[in-house]
Amino acid sequence: MSKFLLLLHDDPTSWQKVSPEEMQKAVEKYMAWTKLPFTIDSKRLASDGRVIRVNGGKPHVADGPYSESKEVLGGYYLIEAVDYADAVKKALEHPHLEHGGTIEVRELYRA
Amino acid sequence: MTPSADAGLLLEHLFRHQAGRITAHLTRVLGPAYLDLAEEAVQESMLRALRAWPYQGIPENPAAWLFRAAHNAAIDGVRHNRLVADKQEAVLAELNRSATLPSEEPLQEEQFRDDELRMIFMCCHPEIPAEARVALSLKTVCGFSVREIARAFLADDRAIAQRLVRAKRHIRERRLTLGLPGGKDLQLRLGSVLETIYFIFNEGYTSHEGQDLIRQDLCFEALRLGRLLALSDLASPSVHALVALMALQAARLPARVDEAGDLVLLEDQDRSRWDPQMIALGFHHFDKSMSGSQISVYHAQAAIAATYTRSTSLNSVDWPAILSLYDQLTAMNPSPVVALNRSVAVARVYGPAQALAEIEALGDAPALQNYHLYLSVRGHLLQQLGRRREAGDCFRDALACHCSEPELRFLARKLAECEG
Repeated sequence: MSKFLLLLHDDPTSWQKVSPEEMQKAVEKYMAWTKLPFTIDSKRLASDGRVIRVNGGKPHVADGPYSESKEVLGGYYLIEAVDYADAVKKALEHPHLEHGGTIEVRELYRA
Repeated sequence: MTPSADAGLLLEHLFRHQAGRITAHLTRVLGPAYLDLAEEAVQESMLRALRAWPYQGIPENPAAWLFRAAHNAAIDGVRHNRLVADKQEAVLAELNRSATLPSEEPLQEEQFRDDELRMIFMCCHPEIPAEARVALSLKTVCGFSVREIARAFLADDRAIAQRLVRAKRHIRERRLTLGLPGGKDLQLRLGSVLETIYFIFNEGYTSHEGQDLIRQDLCFEALRLGRLLALSDLASPSVHALVALMALQAARLPARVDEAGDLVLLEDQDRSRWDPQMIALGFHHFDKSMSGSQISVYHAQAAIAATYTRSTSLNSVDWPAILSLYDQLTAMNPSPVVALNRSVAVARVYGPAQALAEIEALGDAPALQNYHLYLSVRGHLLQQLGRRREAGDCFRDALACHCSEPELRFLARKLAECEG
């Protein structure tokens, strides 16, 4: 078994049209995911952040979060899977995909 | 994390119902012209819940959490909204005050119900076009999204969105308020509210295309609104009659479709599948509707539903009583649909030939020629009279009309009977 990070990228505008009923169902589905046997950990990231860049040898701090597109990294799940194919198969069931979110799957190097 | 942090522990439709009640509350504080702002704040509160709850667990009082989150979002909204500038301070103070109220207190509970009722009355204001009243009520009071309303009404998303925009413009331009009029005006407004609620119920009850659960949700939402009214000072005999009618009809929902998803006519329904709690609720309000001398269309229809419900089998239905109730209903509302329903009772009391003669007299109305229920009832009567070829023609024409999958299968079965 290997460990994989599922990085959840949000498009904040995609939730604007979701109904309260659908929102409740989504809460319940996300919660169910935190309890699956292969989920090791899951966290939500705060909506603000800081980005530190070095410009001309000097670090500059700016308000974040860092994003090159309209999508923002919103949280992660750490899961166990056999390989990428298995990790992707599991991630495909994640409710994040139902409302326009993107999931990046990254394997952790084993120590 | 508390032990209540379990996915299954959220009350069914909690978000939908809280959305309606918090929107109503914020609209009172912000003023009806800022309905959009209230709706956005509510949407934001649910989004915050989605971001927090899966990781922190469900809070001990989810409704109060949403209430506070929506207030915070509304406060942000008011700060960024230059339009409310002139009264910004006062609105912010009121939002801050109301955000800290303990939501469980009985007085507060009463205030919430009052807010919701006023909101229903504003959404059903006679100055708002009838179609828009329905969409607006479902959006603001029942927490449906544009997409859900469109799905329930088999309409286009954009058409519903436009209806809502127009309705909100009406509210702003005509400066509609959440205030309730007195005396005769109140009766007029109440009439419009009951009409809207019954429209929502019927839309959910009559099966059109598809078998979407959202349609049953319409029935239960209409029933919820009706009961809200029935519990308030505004309850009148007509309000109770409407609630009775809806509950007695909703009681039959579980028996209307069999395991295969096929439509089961009232006469063939397994009465043990009728919902006893709904029936009890229906009779409770039916009794209450009897106070006073006022008889409404809802009274006649509730009485018809009650007569069906009281009978233990099809043979024990008191058909002459039902026919005389239909006569009363026809006197108040002489519509072709009422006449069609009445013909079922006519056939039972005076035989199919008499019933056929009566509905054929209606048949000149061109709207009925393409109405599948008219064709279906006519086919049924012709079949009973042994005129199988003509009955088959009726079912064939009905099959060409707009109807739901189960209805299509039902008609196909009838057609096969006539051809076989």
